[in-house]
Amino acid sequence: MNVEIGEVTKRFGRTFAVAGVSLETGPGVLGLLGPNGAGKTTLLRMMATLIPPSSGSVRLLGRDPAGYGPRREIRRRLGYLPQNLGYYPGFTVAEFVEYFALLKEMPPGRVPQAVATAIERVELGGRARAKLRTLSGGMLRRAGIAQAIVNEPELLLLDEPTAGLDPEQRVAFRALLRDLGQRATVIVSTHLVEDVGAACSQVALMDAGQIVFHGTPDELAAGGEGSGAAGDAPLERGYSAVLAAHRSAGAAA
Amino acid sequence: MIFGHDMTGDRTGRPAPVRADLPRDVDLDRVWLGVAAQVWRRRPGLAERLAGRALRSPGLARALVTTPSLLLGWIIASAVVLAAGAFVTLGTSVPFAALLAPAVAAAGIAYAYGPGVDPAWELSQSMAVSDRMVLLVRVLVVFALNAVLGVAASAASGTASAVTFGWLIPMTAVSTLALAVAIVARSANAGVAAGLTAWAITVLSARSAAGHVTAAVTSSALLLPYLLVATACAAVAWFATRLQKGTS
Amino acid sequence: MDDDELIAAMATGDDTALRELFARHAPWLAARLRRILPAADVEDVLQESFLAAWRGAQGYRPQGSPGGWLWGITRRQAALWLRRRGPDGLPLAALADHSGRYADDPAEAALARAELAAAVRALGPEDSATQQVWQLMYVQDRTVAEVAGAMGVPEGTVKSRAHRVRQLMRAVLVQPVREGGGR
Repeated sequence: MNVEIGEVTKRFGRTFAVAGVSLETGPGVLGLLGPNGAGKTTLLRMMATLIPPSSGSVRLLGRDPAGYGPRREIRRRLGYLPQNLGYYPGFTVAEFVEYFALLKEMPPGRVPQAVATAIERVELGGRARAKLRTLSGGMLRRAGIAQAIVNEPELLLLDEPTAGLDPEQRVAFRALLRDLGQRATVIVSTHLVEDVGAACSQVALMDAGQIVFHGTPDELAAGGEGSGAAGDAPLERGYSAVLAAHRSAGAAA
Repeated sequence: MIFGHDMTGDRTGRPAPVRADLPRDVDLDRVWLGVAAQVWRRRPGLAERLAGRALRSPGLARALVTTPSLLLGWIIASAVVLAAGAFVTLGTSVPFAALLAPAVAAAGIAYAYGPGVDPAWELSQSMAVSDRMVLLVRVLVVFALNAVLGVAASAASGTASAVTFGWLIPMTAVSTLALAVAIVARSANAGVAAGLTAWAITVLSARSAAGHVTAAVTSSALLLPYLLVATACAAVAWFATRLQKGTS
Repeated sequence: MDDDELIAAMATGDDTALRELFARHAPWLAARLRRILPAADVEDVLQESFLAAWRGAQGYRPQGSPGGWLWGITRRQAALWLRRRGPDGLPLAALADHSGRYADDPAEAALARAELAAAVRALGPEDSATQQVWQLMYVQDRTVAEVAGAMGVPEGTVKSRAHRVRQLMRAVLVQPVREGGGR
């Protein structure tokens, strides 16, 4: 198990962005679905060791991120793509990926090969020495993915990775996800349901700071059968149905 | 993957290579990655290599040499400002170099690091080389550099040594104020503005209180307030880089 | 862009031109190398060759063929590789001696022998007619009449078999070089 989260909460002032989440997962691709404001990004930030939980236990890659030493070890094996990734306009794609490879304390001798591999994997090989300011939004996103995977992380956290990618690029990206999920734990936070169905072996649905569903995409789709819920595809209907059921249960309680 | 048997023309318009010739057991992707690794690699300069050895961290060294206020243009600008101050001092008796140095340092420090100036700062916070370490090293180096430039300018303009070195403490105070504001406000410009404003007010009010313009730098009564400000602002900067606010 | 333009672009530091050149030429260069080297060595030699091409692009003069230039570089890299590795891994079945031509460079000689060995293997199994003609006529340097007598066939047959030998060897040794096929 690369991720072991137990009854974790995160509070900002009076609101609970994460209100009691337990999650355990190992290698494979987990899709984290949910509406805006559900707490997905906060949960991801906790797993990326950016913020500590207000309560509950977190273990990542078998270590407790509360301590400086273990946190550093986790971060060396971590890949993270934030929802809003700024970039250094004057850097080239290769310089950008290399910068974070060095900050992840990769052995310098291995860095050039790792950078080249990451850049080719996201199909930016023709732009490796182009300045970031010349890239389109989708290409910048792919550069962001490249820095996340450059150190071949054991835990890869991607927040809205397909934002700005056209459908063809999304297909290529899903193939990359499946490939990465062979060895690593990949957690993808997205509001695009179809991304999840195509690439993820597991799905977790979050709403109002809690996980209301955790299972396979097929199970989620099954949850929508015959429910008359909104959606053009089985997975979307399952998503709507589970969400609606949780909310009405919450209202009734 | 790229050049092997499964390749089709990709979106950059490259034609597919003739696959018929390629022997089955030769991995052209691996070959290309080896070529690309060497062609795309960046070779660090001398300063970075030395810093890497001194800091025992190539990542920290790279972060240091990419500090906006340590770029050559910035350093030259700082040196020019201070040199101008020294030059003017030679003509008048007002030690401009000593008065300018804290302002120049404050600007440099505000642009050293932080959410104000680092667009990828959220990502930087997930790095094994901690962002606080980067901040600390950058601030120290910027400060030291400005101190050296300032001392050189002051000495060159022939002012008394009390003034030449007297501005180091106000410089520390003003710099830490600029840093704290830059971090809290997430804007390097806000930090610079705060630092310059605070320094200007200090200089002017010290002058009106004591009668001469170097009072802000030489008055011993100000020593304690400067140190208190420096400590408080450093603490603010420390805590502000620790607590993270999130949205959902 | 045709190959000459690609190499000119490479000389100015355009790595995408190198990428394109690699896509066009690496497959056939790999195929040619594969006849004389094992797969892992082919990969290493090819990598060094393209790096050498990248570094040497400024020295390219577009009067020859780009493919020939690349093959020349690759040959030299293969020769260097073989010199470092020593002759152990070489399948030296041929007896033809090229050392007179490449006396100054034993690595080149080794490479030439390897190429020749590959060509000789293409003639067929050890006891085939073409191999026999090769041995008698080209290695032992006998006349047509002597070969005809030794093999017990008419001279006309010997000549046509010799022609076949030359055909087969040419097919292997003189690989048609890919010219620039781009726009």
